[in-house]
Amino acid sequence: MAAFFDRAHSVAKPGFSRWLVPPAALCIHLCIGEVYAFSVFTKPMVQAIGVTAPTPGVDWTVPQLGWIFSLAILVLGLASAFGGKWVERVGPRLAMFTSAVFFCGGLIVAGIGVNLHLLWLVYLGYGVIGGIGLGIGYISPVSTLIKWFPDRPGLATGTAIMGFGGGALIGAPLSVLLMHRFADATGTGVSQTMITLGILYFIWMFVGSMIVRVPTEDWKPAGYVAPTESARMITSGNVLLDQALKTPQFYLLWGVLFLNVTAGIGVISQASLMIQEMFGVTAVAAAGFVGLMSIFNMGGRIFWASMSDFMGRRMTYAIFFVLGAILYFLVPTFGHIHSLVLFILAFLVIISMYGGGFATIPAYLRDLFGTVNVGAIHGALLTAWSAAGVAGPVAINYIREYQITHGVAKADAYSITMYLMAILLVVGLICNLSVRAVNERYYVQSQPATT
Amino acid sequence: MHQAEERSTAASSNTVMLFLAWLWVGIPLAWGVADTINNATKLFR
Repeated sequence: MAAFFDRAHSVAKPGFSRWLVPPAALCIHLCIGEVYAFSVFTKPMVQAIGVTAPTPGVDWTVPQLGWIFSLAILVLGLASAFGGKWVERVGPRLAMFTSAVFFCGGLIVAGIGVNLHLLWLVYLGYGVIGGIGLGIGYISPVSTLIKWFPDRPGLATGTAIMGFGGGALIGAPLSVLLMHRFADATGTGVSQTMITLGILYFIWMFVGSMIVRVPTEDWKPAGYVAPTESARMITSGNVLLDQALKTPQFYLLWGVLFLNVTAGIGVISQASLMIQEMFGVTAVAAAGFVGLMSIFNMGGRIFWASMSDFMGRRMTYAIFFVLGAILYFLVPTFGHIHSLVLFILAFLVIISMYGGGFATIPAYLRDLFGTVNVGAIHGALLTAWSAAGVAGPVAINYIREYQITHGVAKADAYSITMYLMAILLVVGLICNLSVRAVNERYYVQSQPATT
Repeated sequence: MHQAEERSTAASSNTVMLFLAWLWVGIPLAWGVADTINNATKLFR
């Protein structure tokens, strides 16, 4: 059985269709993307004991539960950073299976924690164990997809990472459906829902790990000719993780991802409140707006990553930063002129570029560092996501609260936050425009980058 | 002749696998997107 998970046993036989690899990757990403739907558990978890209403002093509080998501994202970054080399070594099948064991095991442990009302067990289950599954799962199909699609790396990685954005679209209604099914007079059904999700997701992810294959060393798509010279910042060499960490390009891309994510989180964390306070829409309508943003977050991942195959990665990020900064700058104006349609359109474009930033970065790394260690390098770069996930909301909330306590009106406090986001994107643009091709002295031997 | 038959069988099983694999991920995703769009329409009511 153990041999089945070996990289050698997952090498594709002649005739294998490479178009089977994206659905295999989606099996993983659509499941682990459930983490974005964690907020559906918040309300029932704060009344886990009281059932119909929170019991003060006994039930958990919203800030206590907020740490579960933050911890999961933090561990995601750490697991992908430290597990990247291991994922490259063992191959996608074992990595995907390991991800399934950790992520689904974490859900089940968290479900037991909710049942026993032990918060530390929920932190351990969903945050730490589940977070490891998130990190390993997120990077596990990336380098395999890039090797199968040397002609369209943006499309390939965009398809997989689209799944991470789409995971919430399945996870949220499925969780609500299950909680509704399991809830009774004695409980909110969260525990049973988490355990059921753990089992369902394991089956789904296991199928993905069964389908995935790696190409043979000499495989290339029919008619594809690997570039023989570096062109449009696409390297013809390979850089290993240890060497990549010594290049300025790695840190510039770290800054690019960090700033793009921080600015995107500015939208995600404030959009619902903003649309309610600036336009007076109901909470139900605001929830619909957030749902619409989820679809654009997902769609932007495949759209922008695919476009980057034609426009180039640096140009794609330049569009994110320039267009994003303009839109952030205009959002307060759309509020002042009470144009709900323009406000919604601006946010949908911004959120599509937030998703696009995640999906385009693996192909950017492949262009600069080659394919040999791209999974590990991608894993290391995801620490930028962890940092932005923690620093972004904290900074944004702090700035907003500081202004309100100093007499700034709520609507104006949003405006200043939006202007700050625009400035962050300008800094991101500078980082992006500073990226140049990696110096050949960092290349390993003289191998070509593409298989 | 025998090799041609084998290639044909392999190609058709590959097509079936492709179809099933995309259904496996496509159906839940389509359900999630439809549910989200249904909720999002409340924004415009």
